[in-house]
Amino acid sequence: MTRGQGFEDPEQDVQDAIENSDRTGRDFSALRELLIGDEKRVLQELQQRVTALETPEELANILPDAIALRTAQDKKLARALSPTIEEAISESVKRSPQQIALAIFPILGPAIRKAIAETMAGFVNTLNRAIEHSLSLRGLQWRIEAWRSGVPYAQVVIKHALVYRVEQVFLIHRETGLPLAHVAQGDRDTQDADVISGMLTAIRDFVTDSFDAGSEAGLRTFVVGDVTVLVEAGPKALLAAVVRGQHPTEFLERLQGTLETIHLQFATSLSRFDGDPGPFEATKPLLEACLDTLLTTDRPGTRRATLRIAWGIGLGIVLLLVMLAFRSSRRWNRAIATIEREPGIILVDTDRGFRRSSLRGMRDPLAANPMMLLTQMGVDSSRVEALWEPYLSFDSAIVVARARAVLDPPPSLEIQLRGEILLASGTAPADWLSGAARLAPQMPGVARVDFSNVDITVPRELRTLASHIEQSRILFDVGSAALTAIARETVAEVADSLQHLQSISRDERYRTTLDIIGRTDTTGSNETNQVLSQQRAVSVLGLLAELGVSEDAMNGVGIGTSDPITTDDPISMARINRSVAFVVRLEPDTGSIWRLR
Amino acid sequence: MIQKKICMVGMFGTGKTSLIRQFVYSKFSDKYHSSVGVKIDRKQVHLGDATVNLLLWDLAGKDDFEDLQTSYLRGSAGLFFVADGTRRNSYDQLFELRRLAFETIGDVPYVVALNKADLTDLWALQQQDYDALTKAHWHVLRTSAKTGNGVNEAFYWLAAEMIKNKAT
Repeated sequence: MTRGQGFEDPEQDVQDAIENSDRTGRDFSALRELLIGDEKRVLQELQQRVTALETPEELANILPDAIALRTAQDKKLARALSPTIEEAISESVKRSPQQIALAIFPILGPAIRKAIAETMAGFVNTLNRAIEHSLSLRGLQWRIEAWRSGVPYAQVVIKHALVYRVEQVFLIHRETGLPLAHVAQGDRDTQDADVISGMLTAIRDFVTDSFDAGSEAGLRTFVVGDVTVLVEAGPKALLAAVVRGQHPTEFLERLQGTLETIHLQFATSLSRFDGDPGPFEATKPLLEACLDTLLTTDRPGTRRATLRIAWGIGLGIVLLLVMLAFRSSRRWNRAIATIEREPGIILVDTDRGFRRSSLRGMRDPLAANPMMLLTQMGVDSSRVEALWEPYLSFDSAIVVARARAVLDPPPSLEIQLRGEILLASGTAPADWLSGAARLAPQMPGVARVDFSNVDITVPRELRTLASHIEQSRILFDVGSAALTAIARETVAEVADSLQHLQSISRDERYRTTLDIIGRTDTTGSNETNQVLSQQRAVSVLGLLAELGVSEDAMNGVGIGTSDPITTDDPISMARINRSVAFVVRLEPDTGSIWRLR
Repeated sequence: MIQKKICMVGMFGTGKTSLIRQFVYSKFSDKYHSSVGVKIDRKQVHLGDATVNLLLWDLAGKDDFEDLQTSYLRGSAGLFFVADGTRRNSYDQLFELRRLAFETIGDVPYVVALNKADLTDLWALQQQDYDALTKAHWHVLRTSAKTGNGVNEAFYWLAAEMIKNKAT
């Protein structure tokens, strides 16, 4: 509005008034104009502005300033407006929730994510503690790595445990299921992106419809073998990622973030989409940022190694069990064979069980203890039950054992069985022999005893006396058979000793015989010497008989030079062979002939 | 390149899948019908200097139109109705199907194919039926998935309608 225009109307009014009145009136008006014209014009202008204030245009001009001014002064305006605004928002939500959701999606998303991230952090701590208790070899390695690098253990675990590759990312128009943009790793075939987008949308709709999950929930993940399809849904578009392997939770957040960014940056294009994906070409860098690959070369290997170790351990355990079973079985079989070979034991039945085994058979009381045999062969006899019927064994070892038990032979005597004849060899006292000869034939398995190889042991006292006599030697002069005075004395001593021996040996049931052996030196002819030696023996025998020794218990014999007593000195050798020597024979008074020693 | 979603709508056994198979080479096996209830195929058509990528959503036909899975219809730029010309009730239900579809997605270009036109001996529709359709603003084509008659025309007509719809 210009100032000139503002003056036009009042001037017109004044002129009208002038024309409608008479001349006088015109003059009056002119006068009035002269007097109050300026004030009138100011008044009219003011009136005009007041009227203008009531129009929306003027209000629109001043309202922002007015609100700003009032808000700076106090909170009265905010208080006054808040019920209206609340009502307006609630009405808006009721009428078109999609609009509100679209508007606050970029704000709400990060806020929710942050809250979830905090919850997750707590969860990871719990997980950390849980993992800390796993004491695998791998866990130990990771622990060392965490300690070395100063990184929390859980992070090390995640680093090793997560391997994934995002192979394709689809940006899909939510309503039509048409693809807006599609990116893929490498030279993967991208031709069917449109059909796949459609099917993804259809499957989501299918699941939502089928399971009544509510329109805003929808399918977020589906897994096919090693491949996971993650679907993030925004108000206008879906973001689907095809992931091979195990993706970390951060990746989901990245998808959400990307989708929010796209909603923010392409809000208009999304709303106006009519089948032309051109405007969304610009989203590809955002999508490509999601094509993530995390490769840890050691993981599949580790998996294989772990598998190998597991298999190895399993195989080892199986082998060990087989070996133990084999050894146990072999030990058992050998023990059984030993028992079967053992004299005096007959096995009738054996049963080997996993926990308990049993033996049944017959056993001579004198046979070895089979339980001891089992223990000796390495079998745990406490797990073996045995039932033995007693019987008398005719096995030669048992017969001999029985003979030992019954006859109680002295340690110096060996007993063995040949056929049914018990053969004894060694030395034994005469009284034992007579007892054994009486008892042995009554024993089962023994027909008779052969003691022909047994030497009789003579009681020590008799032996001493006999050797005392045998040490005596009667010496003669050259060519003479006459007893000297000294010789007579010696013979008398021998007679005493012999009579003493005979009296004792009678009590001990031995018969004593004295052999009197005459010798000569080598001078002279053999015939002469033979006769002389004979005469010397007879001389001694005669004197002994005179002294009271029974002639029945004496044999005199001359051997000449045939069995000389030898020594190094020829003179003394000649002297000691001009002599008579004694041999005492002690025989058990049983009638049999025993050799003496 | 413009992309458009078309839904094939019609009763069970009217030949929707056969029509698509006649029109395009199918990538997915028909078993998707029984599992997910929909199978999607693609066909590029050239209309003048425009190339349109048609995504054909082949909804599993139901005996009862009330089972129509309306969520699959969302976002359709065009509807391809199919009736079996030898089965009268498949024709009768066209009107109800159209009402249901529009209730869900609003007014979009559509066409109706009266399929199995090769089975002339069994044909159950008369001139007055065509007239009734035309009067109710249907664009009607007789098609045969077996011989291929009318199939391309139906799809191309619908595609052209959708492009035109966008221009206005």
